[in-house]
Amino acid sequence: MSTSTAVATLGLDAHSLSEQLSSLAQGLGIERWDLGAACSTDTSVQVDRGEAKQLKGAQRSAITVRVWNGDGLVGITSTSDLSPAGLARALSGARDASAYGNADDIPAFSPLATAPLEPLDQPLVEPRGILELLDTLREAERDLLGRHAAITTVPYNGLAQRSSERLYLNSAGACREQKLTTASLYLYARSEEEGRKPRSSGAVRLAYGLKQLDVAGCIAEAAERTIAHLDYAPIQTGHYTCIFSPEAFLDLIGAFSSLFNARAVLDGVSLSDRDALGSTLAVPFLSIHDNGLHPGNVGASNFDGEGTPVRRLALVEGGVLRHFLHSEATARAFAVEPTGHAGLGAKVSVGPHWFEVGPSAGSSGGASGLDRHSADGVVWIDSLSALHAGVKASQGSFSLPFDGWLIRNGEARSIEAATVAGDIRAVLKGLLGFEGEAKLTPDGLCPHVWVEGLSVTGDA
Amino acid sequence: MEVFLESADHIGLLAEQDRITSVSPAFGRGAGVRVFRGERDGFVSTNDLSERGLLVALEQALGMLGLTISSSSLSGFDGLPELHDHALAKGDWLGACPTLAESTDRLLEGTALLDRHGQHLQARRGSYARDWQEVMVAASDGTFARDIRLHQSVGLTALAADGDHRASQGRRYGSSDRPDDLRQWDAQTAAIDLCASTQAMLHADYVEAGTYPVVLANRFGGVIFHEACGHLLETTQVERGTTPFADRIEAPIAHTAVTAIDEGLSDGAFGSLSMDDEGMAPQRTVLIENGVLKRFLSDRAGELRTGHPRTGSGRRQSHAFAAASRMRNTYIAAGPHTPEQLIESVDRGLYCKSMGGGSVGPTGQFNFAVEEGYLIENGRLGKPVKGATLIGEAKEVMPRLSMCANDLELAAGFCGSVSGSIFVTVGQPHIKVDAITVGGR
Repeated sequence: MSTSTAVATLGLDAHSLSEQLSSLAQGLGIERWDLGAACSTDTSVQVDRGEAKQLKGAQRSAITVRVWNGDGLVGITSTSDLSPAGLARALSGARDASAYGNADDIPAFSPLATAPLEPLDQPLVEPRGILELLDTLREAERDLLGRHAAITTVPYNGLAQRSSERLYLNSAGACREQKLTTASLYLYARSEEEGRKPRSSGAVRLAYGLKQLDVAGCIAEAAERTIAHLDYAPIQTGHYTCIFSPEAFLDLIGAFSSLFNARAVLDGVSLSDRDALGSTLAVPFLSIHDNGLHPGNVGASNFDGEGTPVRRLALVEGGVLRHFLHSEATARAFAVEPTGHAGLGAKVSVGPHWFEVGPSAGSSGGASGLDRHSADGVVWIDSLSALHAGVKASQGSFSLPFDGWLIRNGEARSIEAATVAGDIRAVLKGLLGFEGEAKLTPDGLCPHVWVEGLSVTGDA
Repeated sequence: MEVFLESADHIGLLAEQDRITSVSPAFGRGAGVRVFRGERDGFVSTNDLSERGLLVALEQALGMLGLTISSSSLSGFDGLPELHDHALAKGDWLGACPTLAESTDRLLEGTALLDRHGQHLQARRGSYARDWQEVMVAASDGTFARDIRLHQSVGLTALAADGDHRASQGRRYGSSDRPDDLRQWDAQTAAIDLCASTQAMLHADYVEAGTYPVVLANRFGGVIFHEACGHLLETTQVERGTTPFADRIEAPIAHTAVTAIDEGLSDGAFGSLSMDDEGMAPQRTVLIENGVLKRFLSDRAGELRTGHPRTGSGRRQSHAFAAASRMRNTYIAAGPHTPEQLIESVDRGLYCKSMGGGSVGPTGQFNFAVEEGYLIENGRLGKPVKGATLIGEAKEVMPRLSMCANDLELAAGFCGSVSGSIFVTVGQPHIKVDAITVGGR
């Protein structure tokens, strides 16, 4: 078979789409519109003990059009039908929806929708044939199964590659385009020993193409983490100093990102209020930035859903809340510039891209000499689960299952099953310090983070 | 080989305080082509329904298995039979749904009722979603069927704040195949119930962590069975080797008080179907009877790979997903007790009146957030507590599910898994679990 069956020519042509939309809008009496469009082709494989389980391919297209009616109100419609008939239906649907637009919160074009963009170094990689993906994953599974006798299966695995295009256009002449290729690998192994409960852990890797993927690193990490949980014991319920892995701490910050979200602030569902900028949110040595442009952020975009350039933004510096994430509309409400964190919708969403967490410039970074390998009586949290169910972002509380280890006299033993509970405000003010260098993860950059006095529930 | 065609039409509405803040229509179409060769399958989805687009998808699916159109023959296939058309009586459903004006009015009525009945409310929200879907399935085993599905859900959420105390609660109601349902929605009862719950939790203390007997309320309390056990009874889990029940058919896996059912037949329930996404009629599948495992939920691939016969449970979010064995309306059957008898049987424990979401991990460990909880002391309900999470493993917890009350009720929900997010119903009567780990402060 051909090695490039997965990738057909993608279907977005900015000039053609713009002309079609202009013509259709004129016919419907619509003077002001914008659109976001995306198109992708994907191939992916899964294996099961040496056999191909499922091979998948997908061609997807999606477009969202937004129109302003004669009263200045906004309506949208989304569709996967990019035919002329589909575009016409989307425009007229958006015009109908605009009758219900919110007069109290009318979005406008971003004033930065034509501002220069920061260039991204994203190589476009020719996709590989699906049989090559299959061979690569089969070999990875075989390698992982051979790392330890207790690793019996790799029940969750996948190797995927994607080619995609993304556009933002508006009737004032803005035109943003991005082309991207990515590849991803995940390996979650299950281990089982006689008379013991099954254990599971894994690893993920992202890159711009199959050949750039760190397959060996993914196998090694999945094996190491799975084996590290084989010897487990229950933990006594109580309060512990906890060490969050970079991945776990980034997950926690992401789950409570409404703290920094101007949309959530305006809606009254954030723990922050309008006057919170400049207030102390955390220990004085903590810094949190959002930086979608970081070279480690595979798949980064340099413009948001409204065409605003993405940029690095200080959220917390020296423990003080410095900036909120903004769309065009929230920025206008706060009398600041949009920050490049908007989606595109009837109600424009706002969200973070990629966090950088670490010590504030010039600070000591908290307690020195923190070393989990010589600690005693502390809990090392490797990964958090079920954030969708266990986080109450508007209340600040969380209660989350985790995989991790109890460290006694420098010896780590896996914890059988436990949850960690607390309040994000107490966590941010209870940081003891950082351990080691910041680690690059798919969600951001962060070192290990020590936090005191969290409630851990165990089975002992 | 199977071809799945889909046309979809969605509307989503959001009301905040006393304003409509989002009207989000969406429509689309697409196809999914799936080819089996032995136990392997290749699946390709596309939005391009032109002849060329479909041909490319077919060639790609065949190519994944080392086949080509010219080399492929469908053994035993001699053309499609007459269309089995479940959609005939459903053609006017979309037009019979409430108009945008009616829908927005009903949502604003809901948020106004929250304002009327609530205290300390900082944010009030109402949301409505209407999903219309027309599907057609044609397969080389002679399946040729069409259906129209209609799902509507409406929800209210409230955030209360009083000084440092905060509480947020939500309620969602959903139905299938009832165009008139939003008009019939009892917004008043929903708002009163939600406000009472939010008020009760606003000043609640955090629950003390430990292991307790727990009584779970009916309706959405059924999420515990869905997550803890239901997923482990899908053949996708048998295929992966991730269910502890794979070789336990006709063996006891739960307390004798437990009989559990999954079906796609209950009138108007969120998980009901005229046919599954592989064109098969839904069934009433008894999963567990008096504690004994009876059946797994199976789809076409599950039957092929595990030998468990199909149960009309092949489901998918859209054409972009291959069907997989998934739950429909899943519930624990009613028992002989009253809810009060369950509470009276507990000296010190936790009453979970309202459950939040949960999940189950690859080794069978589950967790659920308790949205509204109360202590049980000496057989009586005590003070409200918040921040509780129930944690356990199905294999250990199911034998401890010792009492079922006589008040079975169902609740609508969404389930995300291998074939996307689908409409489901969970349900149960009040049940008692003798001991379960409760995460707290």
